[in-house]
Amino acid sequence: MIDKIKDFLGFDIKADKYKLSHDPQFGMISDEKKPDKWVFSTCGYCGVGCGLYIGVKNGRAVYTKGNPKHNVNMGTLCPKGLSEHQLINSPERVTTPLIKKGGELVYSSWEDAYTKVADEFKRIASQHGKKAVGVIGTGQLLTEEFYTLGKFVQLGLGTNNFDGNTTLCMASAVMGYKQSLGSDGPVGSYEDFEKANTIILIGANIADNHPILKLHIAKNKNEPKIIVIDPRASKTSQMADIYVPIKPRTDLALFNGLAYIVMEQGWEDESYIKANTNGYKELKKHLQNYPPQEVANITGIDVKTLYEIARQFTAQDAVLSAWTMGVNQSFMGTDTVSAIINLHLLTGQIGREGAGPFSITGQCNAMGTRESGFTSSLPGYRNFGDEKALKEYAKIVNVPEDIVPTCRGYKYAEIIDAIDRGEIKALWIVATNPLVSFVNQEKLRKTLAKLDILVVQDAFMSDTAEIADVVFAAATWGEKEGTYTNSERRCNRANKAVEPLGNTKSDFDIIVDFSKYFEGVNELLFPSWSKPLDAFNEFKKVSKGQLCDYSGITYELLEEHGGIQWPCNEERPLGTKRLYSSDMPFVSKDQKANLLCLDWFPMAEQVNKEFPLILNTGRTVEQWHTRTKTRSIDILNDLAPEAWVDINPSDADKLKVKSGDRISLSSARGRVEDVVVRVTQSVAPSTLFVPFHFNTQLVNNLTAESFCPKSGEPNFKQTAIQLHSDEVPQGLEFQEDEISGAISYVKTKYEGIKIKEKEMSI
Amino acid sequence: MQTPLESFIDHKADTGMQCGNYSIDIPKLQEGEQYRFHFDATACVGCRCCEVACNEQNNNPADTKWRRVGEMEGGEFPLFTQLFNSMSCNHCIDPECLKGCPTNSYIKIDETGIVVHDDDTCIGCQYCTWNCPYEVPTYHEERKIVTKCHMCHERLAVGETPACVQACPSRAIEIEVVNVKEWLDGAIDREANMPFLPDARITNSTTRYTLPDNLPENMKEVDEHILKPAHSEIPLVFMTVLTQISLGGFLALFLGDVMSLFGFVQTNWIMALLVMLPAALGLPLSALHLGRPFLAMTAMKNIKTSWLSREALALGVFVLLMNIVVVLYFIKAPHVTILLTELFTLLVGIFGIYAQAMIYRIKARPAWNRTTTNLKFFGTLHVGLFLLGFLAIVLGLKEVAIPLIALAMLGAISQIFFTYEDLRTLKNTKENEYQLLRTARLYDENFSKIKLFRFVSIILGGLILPLLVIVLFSAGLFAVSSLVMFISLLLVFSSEISDRFLFYSTVVPLGMAGGFFVGKQR
Repeated sequence: MIDKIKDFLGFDIKADKYKLSHDPQFGMISDEKKPDKWVFSTCGYCGVGCGLYIGVKNGRAVYTKGNPKHNVNMGTLCPKGLSEHQLINSPERVTTPLIKKGGELVYSSWEDAYTKVADEFKRIASQHGKKAVGVIGTGQLLTEEFYTLGKFVQLGLGTNNFDGNTTLCMASAVMGYKQSLGSDGPVGSYEDFEKANTIILIGANIADNHPILKLHIAKNKNEPKIIVIDPRASKTSQMADIYVPIKPRTDLALFNGLAYIVMEQGWEDESYIKANTNGYKELKKHLQNYPPQEVANITGIDVKTLYEIARQFTAQDAVLSAWTMGVNQSFMGTDTVSAIINLHLLTGQIGREGAGPFSITGQCNAMGTRESGFTSSLPGYRNFGDEKALKEYAKIVNVPEDIVPTCRGYKYAEIIDAIDRGEIKALWIVATNPLVSFVNQEKLRKTLAKLDILVVQDAFMSDTAEIADVVFAAATWGEKEGTYTNSERRCNRANKAVEPLGNTKSDFDIIVDFSKYFEGVNELLFPSWSKPLDAFNEFKKVSKGQLCDYSGITYELLEEHGGIQWPCNEERPLGTKRLYSSDMPFVSKDQKANLLCLDWFPMAEQVNKEFPLILNTGRTVEQWHTRTKTRSIDILNDLAPEAWVDINPSDADKLKVKSGDRISLSSARGRVEDVVVRVTQSVAPSTLFVPFHFNTQLVNNLTAESFCPKSGEPNFKQTAIQLHSDEVPQGLEFQEDEISGAISYVKTKYEGIKIKEKEMSI
Repeated sequence: MQTPLESFIDHKADTGMQCGNYSIDIPKLQEGEQYRFHFDATACVGCRCCEVACNEQNNNPADTKWRRVGEMEGGEFPLFTQLFNSMSCNHCIDPECLKGCPTNSYIKIDETGIVVHDDDTCIGCQYCTWNCPYEVPTYHEERKIVTKCHMCHERLAVGETPACVQACPSRAIEIEVVNVKEWLDGAIDREANMPFLPDARITNSTTRYTLPDNLPENMKEVDEHILKPAHSEIPLVFMTVLTQISLGGFLALFLGDVMSLFGFVQTNWIMALLVMLPAALGLPLSALHLGRPFLAMTAMKNIKTSWLSREALALGVFVLLMNIVVVLYFIKAPHVTILLTELFTLLVGIFGIYAQAMIYRIKARPAWNRTTTNLKFFGTLHVGLFLLGFLAIVLGLKEVAIPLIALAMLGAISQIFFTYEDLRTLKNTKENEYQLLRTARLYDENFSKIKLFRFVSIILGGLILPLLVIVLFSAGLFAVSSLVMFISLLLVFSSEISDRFLFYSTVVPLGMAGGFFVGKQR
């Protein structure tokens, strides 16, 4: 009572809580949060891979500070990184294993959870075959954990129906690199952003998604010309010297067209082409289908601008083309990646300072899983089906050859289809949340209900965990150790700062412990493994001599040097800034890259009378993916607490809505209600943008099951939809588009097959 | 090969980079110079690192933001322009926060020009949050005081980079040195302004802005759709109205006392007590809006520059003097003593209410900063006249009651006119048109019923019923006329309360562009 009165009268201004005091490492900081120790680590959000220190006080994480000596971020961090310590004690955490009993998830012991899952997996394997168990992983774990998980799933559980959520974001880049350059592996370095004369950003909104990359552009002393190619005038478009408002999903045609102009003008680097590539003649012939005027019709970019962009590739100047999801998340994602690479190969803009095709990764360790995770290839970039590679691998890790898979199993979407068909009976989901992130949510929800058992391993109570039969409670960033590899192949060290919360365990421990419930598996796969370093050391052996060579890396070197870019071995003790420079041939048999003949196709799901608008989805800087990590961090969540829809003023007028009003969206698959309108000139008429983070306005109710046939990546970025306002519930009228020339006739016919399938499924 | 540390140090030396850097090399200040922020809007990508870094540095809760990022946009697709403004404190050369602060809790540090806030002496009156045209000072709910950006002066003092500067990946925020004279001689007009920010000359802001060339003409702030009423300041609603009623009553008392010289009825101690009561009740109420009521008395510290201090002192003295007048009546002091004391009291009271009105004549709040504010504050005096008129009727003082009520009715008519004029000029004033029209929208969209009540109640209680009272009273119906007069009094009182509530609730301050969801974060 006295305290209350005192408080009311204002006696205590809590000066102690808000004072600063001196910290030897970072200077004057908040006294209340002044850590007992700073733990060297790496950010666990996106693929930029920023170095940081976690401040720990009384066993709790209280601060994150950018590491000024780190190559990637030089002391800076994005808003998510700056508040990252808050996620560790988030109320969204799963603190103990859970088992569903009577429709409710209830606390369980690890033993009960393991036993239940192991028994069920074994029963299903014996009744329906080992491949009736599917696993969907992530890009969020540490490399050591990926390797352990992959090895356990493929060699222990014996199923190759194993894929990751990386298929929702990076798979097209992987397959594009493979088909063009002979192997996966991003070519360049962030340093190239500092050295390039021209930076082309294609479908990449780095201002929202990778803001720290702006640091490297800011460091560029050449005053680079920045070209932003994006159907939406995103925050990133504001950096551009030339903003190219390309029509949705016509980027492949654009890059073919640019290659045409390069050849027409004789701007290619003949000696480079001759020495390093195959397929020049075929490509030249193929590109005759992409003359500038035709490309201008397809892409909506005028011929003059096409020439201006193509001209960037001519001089000795260095051109960097960086892309993310605008390119990857497409029906023709893989081929678009290759079209970009074609242009760089033709002009020799690869393997030197400031030049190259550069895929920016979405997740902190999407690279780690690509290299070690056993999904799209055997560990260390060994191709499935390569018998020699298989034998090599089996020998290194001392397992019988016959348990090593010879081919890739189902991809993400194929796993979902197989569940729908009843072929896969058990699904183990690790650190991903398909019930927000995958396409066509209504169907997905029905499909997952068909499973005999759904196991979700996550640190947070995700939407998917809520419907799980068993939840493995995982530790998260800051509570476990290992390495992350970023977009520029830089392996970074992440340390454990605090003990795992409650009854959670690191994903490494979960997998190794779980393997003990399968006879002989632990002994075979993880003999005397007790810590992530055991996995790392094996992966070093596995990757030795491969393109992604980790053999020279040690944890100590990583801390000392602010991360190391693979390949790192005896010849390259401090790693490699860029691949395919003059001393490093391509990894294909004849050591040459492939110039590929790639075709552009119009969208399968065209806008039409019923659904006359194109919906684009993406991210915002304040939130992380499906928000499981960020929704309870107030300072982030308050800035973007719900989804919104960007609408051009001309469409808003027709719908009689203004900013702040509420509107519904519908597609052939579903509907999203109650989305707040943001009227903005950042989108073209008849196009919309909605961020995908929000389970409250689940935009993936609308998106279609259209996947890149090569990578399996969903075509998230273009969906035909309709808008329904209170005043105009029937929505907008369809504006007929001019059809361009003969090419689109051929293409439309090709995709006719797809369209028919769709009509049947609807 | 360089180690990352070597490369970092080299790079820092090459470029004078402040971002990313936990230490800072800025020149020592010469005579006539101070530190300032430079914000490069062409570099900012709107990532909000600065905003989060500031809160992390200062341990502030998520809803207390010293640095905010505002967003504006314009043009037509694809020629679309998006503009960000990351702003904390502009460390002005003539800070309004400092001038208005009644407790002298703002200090512009001589050596650095940084405007810091002295937490210990702050009473949480929040007058600075009104005065600053940028809405920089912000009330900290947990601490019950106002807090603000101090340019991390404790870090700067030991050669460390402020948190926002350190955090920016785009090198958009920097600390610079500015020569005050050169800045005021003209650079300020070219480099200190930003769309949707008030004119830098109001406070002589020091922040330097780099803006893109050729901004489109149709720039809008992205939080345009967020139009929320301001804080209703209920304690202040009652405090201001009650003190004004006292002054009105006291004016009537004084006039009556003067008239008594000509043979009219002598005023008495009951009347003096009655007119004193509203202010005696109202004044302490104002302490309730303070974060730290126990320090209320210190509000008189800054008589030199703060209208709030002047008001506090003058009205305090006014109430004290009214008490003395009551005593003088009670002990039947000589008439001339009473009369002279009353005159002095009245003058102090008039100055008190004038000071009270001047509190609101601030550039940062355009709807308040109009002559009609002063007029309406004095217009409220008519309720005091009615109060004393009511007493005259109850006491059956015919020759006093009717002229007093007539005078009060004149006052009510003026007040109706002032209120009407106040509303009318909202919609046709060019200066600060954007904010004034938004105030008008709040009147029409959020408070149309209260606005209607305001007019109906004052016409009924200030004109129609008093007329009826005069008729009834003249007819000798004392009881009925007392009752009607009481109703009339209640009506004009609640009418003034409702209008004052609207006065506070509908103000739309100057400030900066906000965020689409969070608005101004104020």
